[in-house]
Order: sequence, then C-alpha cells, then structure tokens
Amino acid sequence: MIKIPVKLLIVDDEKDFVEMFSLRLSGQGETVHTAFSGQEALEVLETTPIDVVILDIRMPGMDGIETLARIKSAHPMVEVILLTGHGSAETAVQGLKSGAFDYLMKPADFEEIRVKVERARQRKDAQEERIREAEARLMLRRIGDI
Amino acid sequence: MDKEGKTRIRVLLVDDEDQFRQTVARRLERRDMRVAQAPDGQACIAKLAKGGVDVVVLDVRMPGISGIDTLKTIRRTHGEIQVIILTGNAAVSDGVDGIKAGAFDYLAKPVDIDHLANKIRQAWEMTRLETARKQEAALRNRLEQKMVDAERLMSLGTISTGIAHEINNPLAVINESAGYMKQILERPALDGLDEKTSLAKGIEKIENSIQRARKITHQLLGYVKKQGSDVAKVDILLLLEDSLDLLHLGIEDKEARVVWQIDPDHRFIKSDPYQIRQVLINLLNNALDALPQKGCITLSTKGSDKTVCFMVQDNGGGIPKENLNKIFDPFFTSKPFDQGTGLGLFVVHRILETLGGTVSVDSVPGKGTRFTVCLPRFDGV
Repeated sequence: MIKIPVKLLIVDDEKDFVEMFSLRLSGQGETVHTAFSGQEALEVLETTPIDVVILDIRMPGMDGIETLARIKSAHPMVEVILLTGHGSAETAVQGLKSGAFDYLMKPADFEEIRVKVERARQRKDAQEERIREAEARLMLRRIGDI
Repeated sequence: MDKEGKTRIRVLLVDDEDQFRQTVARRLERRDMRVAQAPDGQACIAKLAKGGVDVVVLDVRMPGISGIDTLKTIRRTHGEIQVIILTGNAAVSDGVDGIKAGAFDYLAKPVDIDHLANKIRQAWEMTRLETARKQEAALRNRLEQKMVDAERLMSLGTISTGIAHEINNPLAVINESAGYMKQILERPALDGLDEKTSLAKGIEKIENSIQRARKITHQLLGYVKKQGSDVAKVDILLLLEDSLDLLHLGIEDKEARVVWQIDPDHRFIKSDPYQIRQVLINLLNNALDALPQKGCITLSTKGSDKTVCFMVQDNGGGIPKENLNKIFDPFFTSKPFDQGTGLGLFVVHRILETLGGTVSVDSVPGKGTRFTVCLPRFDGV
C-alpha cells in the first residue's frame, strides 16, 4: 500500500522537541511543518495546507487552548491533537470540548501518535468527502431548479 | 455509677491491721465509695495491675515492702493514681517523706473518717483534672500532627506534580531523539555497520529508561480526574471483583487466597467509580506484594449512617512502625528501585482527599496490614 503523507504541523515552544519529533515523523513519510508559538502556527496555516496539527498546551504567549480555538474558527476542517506535558487531563478535556480530536501525554508513545494522527487524518478526509457530496447534491438541485 | 448518676470513687485501702482496714472500708462505702482492700504492699501492687482504682490509701508502717517503697512503685508504674498515706500518730517525718515521694497528702492515725473521705475526693478530683488535661493535650497533639501531615503531603503533592511536568518535557525530547536514531539505524544503507547491534541495544536501553521515568511521572499525575468520570452509585463488591480480575496474574503467582466478608448493608457508596477502582488496585497491589506465598487477603466492609468503609487486609510482613507515617509520602517505597514508584499510596491519599473520603492504616509487624477506606454512603439520590 502506498502511504499518503499526512500534512502535519507541530507546534511547541520546546525547539529540541519540535526538531526531533519532526525528523522522526518525516522519516515515517509524513510531510511536516513546524511552528514554535501559537501565533506562528496560525501564520503557517494561512499559507500552507495542513491536515493535522499537533499542538502543545503549555506555551508562553498564546497558549494551546487559545490557539486551538483560533485554529478551529479559522480552519474548521483542520484536526488538532493536543500534547500535554503535565497531568492536566482537565485542560485536555477542555480542549476536547473546544474541538480537539484527541490528546497525548508527553512523552508519548510513538505508535500511539502514529495511530492518532492517522485517525485524525481519516476524520478530516471523511468530513471533506461529506462536504463534497453535499455540495454536489446542492449543485444537482440547483440544476434541477432551472 | 450509682442511681443518682454520680461516679463512685474507687479506693484501694492498704493496711496490715485487718480490724482497722475493714472498719474504714465499711465507713467509706457508706460515703458512696467503692473500696477494695489489700493487707500489704505486694498485694496492693498486684491489685493495681488489674486496674479499676482511682485513689490508694496507704499505711506507711507495714511488714514486707514498706509504705514508702510501695508508694514509689505506684508513682512509677501508675502515675495517674493518687496516693494518700496514713502515718503513725507522732511520725510527721513519715508524712513529709511520703509527700516527697509523690503522695497526694498524708493523714495521721487515728484518722477522722470524714477528713479522709474529703481527702480522697480531693485526690480523685485532681486525677480527673489531670486525665482531662492529658486527653486534651493528646487530642491537640494528634490534630496538630494531622494538620502538619496534611500540609506536608499537600505541598509535596504540588511540588511533585510540578516536577513531573517539568520532567516530561525533556523526557519527550529524549524519547523523540532516541526514536529518530532507531529509525535511521533501520535503514538498509546501515546494514553493513559493525556496531549496529550495540547501537540498537543502547537505544533500546534509552527507550526502556524513558518508559520507566514516564511511568513515574504519569502515575504521579494519575490522580487527576479522568475524563468522563462522575460521582455515581458504586457497588464496592463489583469494583472489588473488577479489580481482582485485573490482578488475577499476581494472585495466581502468589497462590493467594481471598476471603470475603462483605456486609450487604454496607455495600453502596456515592463516588467516582474510576478513581475508586484506582484506589482498590493500588491497595490490592500493595497487599499482594506484601503477601507471603499462599497468603491471604481479606476484603470486608462495614459502615455507619453516613459512611461505608471497605478494608483490604493482608497477612504479610506488616509495616515497621517508623515507616507508618511516611507511607503516604510520594516516592516513599520499600520495594526495589525498579519495582515500586512509591506513588501508589500517595495517589490513593490524593484521590480520597478529592472525593471527601479517608484512608487509614493499621499494621502489626509480622502479622499484616489493614487499610481502611471510608467514603460517603449512597443515599438513594
């Protein structure tokens, strides 16, 4: 089976982590973009097509939860997986309620990451598929109206 | 207590003159006292060992152990009992010696019975005050100790969760770096590398160590409320069965016997089932670890109007007394460094704190340990 690369954006202020994590994910065949702050992440999303964002919750400046809210309002189709360094499952729950796909606790098991990224991408694909179908139906109906 | 609700003072009368002793005893009984008698110092001390005496009235001049020596023994072994000594007519020095040795007061023979009864009442009053004061002091002490413990645990908890968080971040960097190196190493281009096996082994060791550290940090943060958990009617019996199922391997390894003493009247609590299961698993795990081969775990419940308690008891080695106040501390463990994180009971304590429950421990070294967890009773709402 040919692997279709997932277009990933990793957002974390911990530069070492971002660097190694993206090397590893690239090595797995994903297309990886990086950002070191929430602001930077939003800028990347403006110019680059992204499937899944892996977003650290605790960052200086705009934190993960706020970044999540902005991503979901500007790019509702993009799936977000939250990364948390501490046990704030509470914050993770809050994130899930504001539209995150899932969350991972650092240091995360790579297999777990792989599975969650894949599922997030599948959900995005399915969602986009439904939208396309709906648009097609809409178009057909309009044609029928004439 | 007599019918008027007054407590009768329990007196032990010690005198070698039978006639005198019996007369005084009778007269004191008439004054609402309960009087026991002893003919000499030895009998007196033997009677005291059985308890039930408030005040001793002691003749100084007796054959055998002298009155003063008897008095000294009483002061040493029964500090809470007051002693009134009876001296011969002219022997004031005996009385002074007696007071020096710790007597409440002395009376010279022949004694005026009302005078003696009054002295006895005074002495008893003194005992009562002292006992009350001691109880109060002990209670205050316990409360203070509890507060200190709670505070210390709380700050340790805050610090350790903070540390866990800070450690997870560098751990994640190490994890990804090692993972990446492993990925590279698996490339076919590196197949010819001589040290490939050793390198892979090194990376594997790094990854295992990360797993170990991760286990610690995640367990430390584990008490944090899990997603979707809520307070509900919880059947302790079912949860216990669940938890035992999860631990069946350990139970089989130890060939352990599980004894159930579930009181059907005390079975349902109002709490968060997920967190209580965590509590049970941690307690059962500890019990299993403590258990000798073919040991026995006893699971029981009891309760009152408002609470239901469940007990997990093992017949293992018990906890040494000096460790008892440390077992709820994070990172305190008596297990080998790679087996126990020292966080199990800490997490138990934290969970129960957030759920409004309590956990306490009784342990007899060599006999076993019992943990008692009390939680609000399910009240039908």
